[in-house]
Order: sequence, then structure tokens, then C-alpha cells
Amino acid sequence: MTINTIASHEQILHFPREGQPHLSSNEWLIWNGSQDEAGNVTLPDLENSQFKKVLVPFTWWRSQLDAHHNEADIEADIEAKAKLGQMGVWFAADDDILKCADLIEEGKHYWRLVAAHFPIFRDGRSFSTAALLRDRFQWETEIRAIGDVLIDQLLQGARVGFDSFALRPDQKTDVALKQFDLFTVSTQNSWRGQRTLLQSASSEANLVNA
Amino acid sequence: MNIESPRQSWAMYKYDHIDQTLVDQRVIQFRDQVARRLNGSLAEEEFRPLRLQNGLYHQRHAYMLRVAIPYGLLSSTQLRTLADISEKYDRGYGHFTTRQNIQFNWVTLEDTPDILADLAKVEMHAIQTSGNCIRNITSDAFAGVAGDEYVDPRPICELLRQWSTLHPEFAHLPRKFKFAINGAKEDRTVLLCHDVGIELKKSANINNGELTDGLTADIYAGGGMGRTPILGSLIKTGLPWQLLPSYLTALLRVYNRFGRRDNLYKARIKILVKALGPEEFARQVEGEWLHIKNGDDNFTQAEWNRVAKHFTKPAYQSLAKLSPKQVLELAPAEDTAVNKAGFQRWLERNVKDHQVPGYASVILSLKPHGTVAPGDATTAQMNAIADLADQYSFGELRVTHEQNLVLADVEQAQLYKLWQAAKQQYVALPNIGLLTDIIACPGGDFCSLANAKSLPIAKAIQERFDDLDYLFDLGDISVNISGCINSCGHHHVGNIGVLGVDKDGEEWYQITLGGEQGNQAAIGKVIGPSFYADEIPDVISKIINTYTKQRSADESFIEAYRRLGVAPFKEAAYQDKKEHAKKKDNAEVMGSAA
Repeated sequence: MTINTIASHEQILHFPREGQPHLSSNEWLIWNGSQDEAGNVTLPDLENSQFKKVLVPFTWWRSQLDAHHNEADIEADIEAKAKLGQMGVWFAADDDILKCADLIEEGKHYWRLVAAHFPIFRDGRSFSTAALLRDRFQWETEIRAIGDVLIDQLLQGARVGFDSFALRPDQKTDVALKQFDLFTVSTQNSWRGQRTLLQSASSEANLVNA
Repeated sequence: MNIESPRQSWAMYKYDHIDQTLVDQRVIQFRDQVARRLNGSLAEEEFRPLRLQNGLYHQRHAYMLRVAIPYGLLSSTQLRTLADISEKYDRGYGHFTTRQNIQFNWVTLEDTPDILADLAKVEMHAIQTSGNCIRNITSDAFAGVAGDEYVDPRPICELLRQWSTLHPEFAHLPRKFKFAINGAKEDRTVLLCHDVGIELKKSANINNGELTDGLTADIYAGGGMGRTPILGSLIKTGLPWQLLPSYLTALLRVYNRFGRRDNLYKARIKILVKALGPEEFARQVEGEWLHIKNGDDNFTQAEWNRVAKHFTKPAYQSLAKLSPKQVLELAPAEDTAVNKAGFQRWLERNVKDHQVPGYASVILSLKPHGTVAPGDATTAQMNAIADLADQYSFGELRVTHEQNLVLADVEQAQLYKLWQAAKQQYVALPNIGLLTDIIACPGGDFCSLANAKSLPIAKAIQERFDDLDYLFDLGDISVNISGCINSCGHHHVGNIGVLGVDKDGEEWYQITLGGEQGNQAAIGKVIGPSFYADEIPDVISKIINTYTKQRSADESFIEAYRRLGVAPFKEAAYQDKKEHAKKKDNAEVMGSAA
């Protein structure tokens, strides 16, 4: 790991909406947008990295598109990488995604993976980010929780819209995998499903009629 | 033998398998979290929010467990379980709180999962009684029976309890989030001091040309006590009840995204509402709501029916309404004059009007003079009160935010017998709404947040004013005591508020005057520099003497305060203070020389 990346397990915890939780090896480096050892603010060198894909800060993505508007080649390079599925973005907890709706809509064509960051486990802003991505933007591909992601956030994260988790490296993956079936009922709707309803006489009647 | 349980006639929500499964599974989840804490794989710092969201605090001496009593409604069976817990896991008592919950002050971390399992058996839990999440919802202790009620708030309370339970998006808000719900003419919920106050109304409504059933909500946001006391602002009127989940999602989403997280003291929603202005806050909520108001988060009629069917009226008998004179004559003719006078006083202060002829609501006072902490009940008292509930009030009780208990459905004809039985348990003191009916937090004796003790102050005041003739003469007056600025003792809305403050490691007390709960809710004003603990009873006496000297005819304390302003009270309170200050200054000079 280098100083300008966000650490996570070598393995990523996946919990697809229709599927079982499982682990798979991590392909994505998460660049935090700050300087490297040499003092440069540039994309990490993926050529010599075990990771072949990179998540960049959403603010950096935006600034690149703004700053290099006339330098079509750089813009094209970034977009090309993204289009190849090698680049995605991550949203900081204080990114106001609703203010950047156009850019995010556009991102649907580029980003195979987006992530939302937890600066500390008890900061719940990224829960709303994920919920908005799913509800408002109808985001259909993977949304990953990154940063201070602990075992006891998994259930909430999975319900608001995350389907993969880059757990903090000290978290035990075997315990993490057991979190998702702790509750078999819920009392409010979520990305994963409707609230549990009683099988009432009327709904049974509807089933019969259907 | 098949004994018919009083349960048959309870007007209480009964868990279905969904509710029961959820609390049972929550116990399993918490048991695992505790096990991970105990084996060291979960650090205390990271366990803290998890235990708080399950009501478990680490206090001065031990863990404290706060158990939810949703909207203050309790069955006799549940109260007996609370009594059992107080005996088995605590030191033989529990403390009813200003948010209608109960706290046990001496539990251990290891026992907590078992306590929660015991609670789950009687449809209780400790979910979201603390932590930065939607807290247990509070309401009118007289819901469903109050004479001035236009909407029974309990179905909405229960629907929102379910909606907010383990809500994933709002599990880590910037700060705690408290709902209060009122449906009566007189507000008994301190509605305007809540993060969200929901005022239910019933009126014929035309929506898009269609006549709806007319149950709507007015939404107040951004009220709160604490360091920056603010009354909530009206941000929405006439919201159809079905749309509460989507509207509240929008409101909480705006708060979750933009509430401050950089400063603990500026993290409550009131700071956001104040910073944006209520109009702008309302506009942002409305903007978010626009996208989700027609979604399937909203309540359905089927859900209303499922929940509301439990809040039917209990099996009232058809009785004639007794006149006050007839009620008084329930006391046997041969009773002593002292007893008769005592009964009359109790009727006057502790018995309230009821919607149904022949019935009354009775408040059992948990504020004996100077013996126990306000709101405390022993194991024996809890068991005995559960029996009283079975015998006199369909097996059901309510907790008031003033920390007393209510038997809501008592036959008027039984009042004398109930009074005698309540006296045996020392819960019949006729001091409801009087100066000694003090609201107080546990304070520095228990709470690790407190700057100062509150219980000895309450005790000293009760001892000073231990004369019922005098208390009756003073009439309605509220004295609220908080041991720190978190304001659990609601001092901001006490006619007389007492706040414990820390000055150089010493316990001092600041006095506020003019606070009020109810429809004329007001935040009290600080009268000046704070006092030593031992000065407080004298200060209260001076304030009270000012009132008795200057009041006109039937004027209550707060009415007199409103007319006279703070000046005469302040002058009286600080009469001898200059002497004291001089002595203190000298002591400090000597201290600094040493």
C-alpha cells in the first residue's frame, strides 16, 4: 500500500442484490487524490501495481474534466480508461451528488464501479449517498462501501444500496460473512426489498385472484 | 382452568410475528456484539455506538440500561417483568425517565443480552433508546382517554415506531433524533422541544378534489433543549398521515447529509434549521420529498387497520358520571376528617377527567418528598402498581414525561379504594403539578455526563416545601432540574429551572425562570450568576415568596411571572448573594496566595 491510497482487505465482500454474500479478490486500487511519494498529484501507476483498476475521487474526476476541457487528449485518456472499465469514482462523504446530477448521469457510461467513502464508521452520510444513487439515479451496477467499513455497518449498508464492501483490513471476514442473514424481517422498505407484510386475508385473496 | 386474562380488553398494541421476530433477532445480534467486545475483537470505541443504539450506557459506577416504553404505554405484565429485572439484575429499583422510558442503573455488560431476552418475551426492547439515531417516540400519557383529544395519536406512534426501528439509512445521524406526537388540544408532550414534533389533526380535507379521511399532520422541526434551547418551527401543515414515511425520509435525509458533524454541540437538527432558516430548510425537505412522495414507502390503509385495531377502547361499562360531590362521598362517613381532606386533595391533583362517563385517569406520584429520586420505583412498588393496574385499569399503565405513572381507565366509583391502595405503596402523594412534583435527571450521582448532582437538590427542595397546605396554596408550578446542559431534566421548560454547572471543578447551579411546557411553551431565562448547592432551597424560597407577595387573586406562578417580568424575582434571589460573593472572593484571594 502506498501513502495516497485507501487501505482495504485484499478481498472484497460482495453481496449481490440477488445472491449470496461471498469474497473475491480485490482488483481496485483506491486513490485518495493526494500526492504520491514523489510529491506528484497524478494517477497512481497501475502498470507496476498488483491492481489494474483504480477508483479516483469524484472531485478529481470533475476537476479533470473542467481543467482540461481544451486538452482533449487528457480528457480522452481518462475517459478511455474509464470506458475500458479500468476507472471508477468514489464519493466522499461531503460530496453533494444531487448537485452534480448531470455528471453522474454521464458517468453511467464510464464507471463500472462507484464507491462511497466512510471517513469514520459512525458517519452515516454515505448511507444516504448510496440510497440516492439507487433511488434517484437508478444506479444499477455495483456500489462499494470504502474507508472505515466495519462488520456492524454491513447490514445497514447492504440495505441502503451497497453491494460490495472493502472492509477495513483488521475486520474478520468470516464474522462479516455471517452478518447478512441476522434479520429475516424488516419494518421499512429498502433497496433489497419491501418491508415484511403480514399475510392478511385480503392479500391472500389477491394472490388467488391473480 | 381457563382464567380470562385482563389482556382481552387492553387497548395496547400486540406484537405480530414480524415485531416478535425482529426483537428476538436483535437480541441475538446484540449477544454476538457483546461477545465480540468481551473477547476483545471489538474495540470499546467501536462498540460504543452499538451498545448505545441498544440503550446501554457506561455510567459512573456501572452500565445503565435504558429500556424503551414506546409512547409511554405499558402493560401490567411488562411492568412485572421490569420489576423482575430490577430485582434480578439491578439493585431493586428502576428510574422512569423524562422520555417515558425506564432506566436500570446497575447492570453488567455480561447480563445485558439476557435482560434483553427477558424483555423480548413481553414484547419489549431497548432498541434506539440512545445513540445518534431516531429515538423511542414519545406521546401524550393520556392518549386515547384525554377529554381534550381530537385524534388518538397511538396508531401513528406505533406505525412510526415500526418505520423507524432499525432504519438503515438513519442509523448514524449527526446526533440523536427525537420525535414527539400530540393529538390533543393541550400539548402534554413538550412537542416544540423535539427534533420533530408531529401534531395530528382531524378535519374534512379536500385533496385534488377528493375527500380524504382528514387525518393530517403538522410538522414542527428543529426544536430542542440542550446547550442551545430552541422551540421547533412549523415547516409543514396538512400532511396526510399516509405520507409521513416519505416526508420524514426526506426530512431526515436532508439532516443526515447536511447536519454538522464537526462539532458535537452543533450537530442537532435545530442548528441546521437555524442556520438555513426554517423556510429554506422546509424548501429543501420539500425538494427531496417531491421525488419520493409517491413511492411505496408510504403507509397503506391495510397497515393502519393492522395497527389501529389494537387501540380500540377497553371494555368500558356503561356508567353514570359521578359529580365531584358524589366522588367525595365515596369516603365512608366514619372516616376521619384528615383522611377525607387527604382524599379530596388527591382527587384535586392526581385525578383527571376522562372521555367516558363514569371513568377517570389517575396519576400515581413517583415524587415522594425527599426520600427517593424523582421517577424511581422499587421492585415491590412496580409489582404492586402492576396489581393496581390489573385491578382498576384494564391491566394497562402509562409513563408521563414528568416521571409519574398513570392508570388511565379507573371507574370513578373505585377512586377511594384505589387511593387507599396507592397510599400503601407511597404513590398517592397529592403533589401532581405542584412544586415538589420535580422533574430531575439522575445527575452526577449516576450519570457520567453530568457536571453536578441533581437528586440532592430535588431532595432539599422537597424537604424545604414539605407542607401540603402551603404547596396547595402555591398551586401549579414546575421545578425542573438537570445535572448538565444536555437538559434531560427539562430545566429549560420549568417555571423554575435548575441547571448544574461546573466551575473549576465545583458544582454550581444556574437558575432560569419563565420556562413553560404545553401550548404556551417557552424557554426559561437565566436570572444571573449561579449558586452553591446549599443556597438553592433559600433561592427557591425567595422566588416563591416574591410570587406570594405580589400575585393577584388566582394568578398562577407563571402568570405572575409573565406580568411582573424577571426583575422582582431576580432581585429577591440575589438579596444576600453579595455577602456570599465577598466571602468567596476572599477565599479565592487566600487560595491563590497559598
